[in-house]
Order: sequence, then structure tokens, then C-alpha cells
Amino acid sequence: MSQLHWYLLVAVLLFCIGLYGLVQRRSLIAMLIALELMLAAISLNVVAITSLAGGDAESATGNVSSAGQVVAVILIGVAAAEGAIALSLFVAIQREVQSINVEDLSELKG
Amino acid sequence: MNWDAFLFGSSAALALIGALFAVSLKNIFHNILGFALALVGVAGLFLTLGSDFLAIVLLLVYVGALGIAMVYAVMLSQPLDTPRTPRSLPKIAGSALLAALVAMALWLVIRRAHFPGPPEVLEVAPQWIGRRLLQDYVLAFELISVLLVVAMIGAVMVARRDPARRAPGTAAGTAPRPGAPR
Repeated sequence: MSQLHWYLLVAVLLFCIGLYGLVQRRSLIAMLIALELMLAAISLNVVAITSLAGGDAESATGNVSSAGQVVAVILIGVAAAEGAIALSLFVAIQREVQSINVEDLSELKG
Repeated sequence: MNWDAFLFGSSAALALIGALFAVSLKNIFHNILGFALALVGVAGLFLTLGSDFLAIVLLLVYVGALGIAMVYAVMLSQPLDTPRTPRSLPKIAGSALLAALVAMALWLVIRRAHFPGPPEVLEVAPQWIGRRLLQDYVLAFELISVLLVVAMIGAVMVARRDPARRAPGTAAGTAPRPGAPR
């Protein structure tokens, strides 16, 4: 296994631990934590691939290795915005329904 | 054993153990601590890739800002000592099976993929990221800025207590808030 494969293996494991948490947990905050783990795994993937296997790929203005880091910075920004919105929604839901357990939030029947 | 391999191994172990804590422990506060541990591990992995700037940004944004925001959300929403019904075993097994299947599929794809070698010039210094962000990717940069502002205002609007919907008798403006100066 090359060096890149080790990084990708860690990212895959991190992603799937996050997926497991997202499916299995019922607290909305725990599901958000699992989702953020998956996003972190994706940015690890992007950075590892561009800096260890960006060989013959060229972006519009040159080397791809810093382009991957820019993508990761943008991913982190999106994750932060998403986390802020989600956490404020949880607080609002808690105020309305007195619970942030997803099984208590099914108001539509069918 | 050389230094790079040791740094990679310990960071990867930290990330995976933290992630396991983050999804498997029962107490939501321990989950948040595990999440912070996992992100410290991912920041270490970024360090081994030479991306010092990204590691710092990850620590600041995830462990600092998002971790604290999660603690606040727990504080405002979920009483830590409420009794919880345990998750049924078939559901846990099903989720684990799903995660294992996805991991196997992803790993098979990765094994079959052909990756070119590393780039000839590694541009990992922070000034390259700054140059990229303000030249090639300036549109994405501006959009992210707008997104963050909108998300911040939206978060305040959503989480704000609506004065019109309070219970009668405690209408807005009449009852002094606890702790407010009289």
C-alpha cells in the first residue's frame, strides 16, 4: 500500500463511522456531530489526493496541490455555516416540541 | 520507525478513536469531546501532509467554534439526565452493516483506481492559498463570505424567542426578565 492509500483508508473509516452515527443516533446534535465527521473525512480526502497524487493534473493556472487546500478551506466554511444554522434550528425545535429526539419529531402520519 | 510514520499513525489513531467515541458513547457531552478529539487527529493528518494552515483553520473552526456552539446547544436544549430508551439491537446491527458495506465498496473502488504520482511542485505554503483564494477562486471566496453572513443572521433569527408567541400574562414588555435590572 502506498502512502496515499493509508490516508484514503483513514478517510474511508472516518466517513463510515460518521455514516454509522448518522443512521444509528436519535439525538439531532449527535447526528450533526456524525455529519461533521463525514465532512472532515471528505476534506481529508481532497487534501491527501491533491498533495500526494496530483501528478499530471493541472488546474487553470498551474499546480493542483494548493487548489486542493482551497477546496478544503471552502468545505470548512460551508460546514461552519451549516453547523450554525443546524444548532440554532435545534434550539428552536427544542422550544416548540420540548425534545430533540428525531423519533418525537414525526408529525406527518403515513 | 521514522518520525513521519509515527506522526501519521498517532494522528490516524487519534482521529479514529475520537470518531468512535463521538458516535458510540451515550452521553451527548462525551460525544462532543470525542468529536473534538477526532478533529485534533484530522488536523494532525493535515500536518503530515504539509498543510499547516489547514490544520490551524480546522482546529479553530471545528474544535474551537463548532465544538463550543455544540456545547451551547446541548446546554440550551437537552437535559443531560433524562432517561433514554436503549436502541434496539437489530437497528444497531443494521446501521453497522450499512456502514461496513459502504466502507467495503469505497475501499474496492480505491484499490482499483489508478492514482498518478505526487505533483512536481508542492504548493502548500499559506501564501499560495491566499493567492488562489483571491485570484482563481475569488467567486467561491465571495460566495462563502455571503453564505457565512447569511447563516449567522439566519441562526440568530431562527433561535430567537418570538415575543408574539409567548404565553398570555407574560406578554413581551410587561414581565421583567429574570436577571434584568429593575
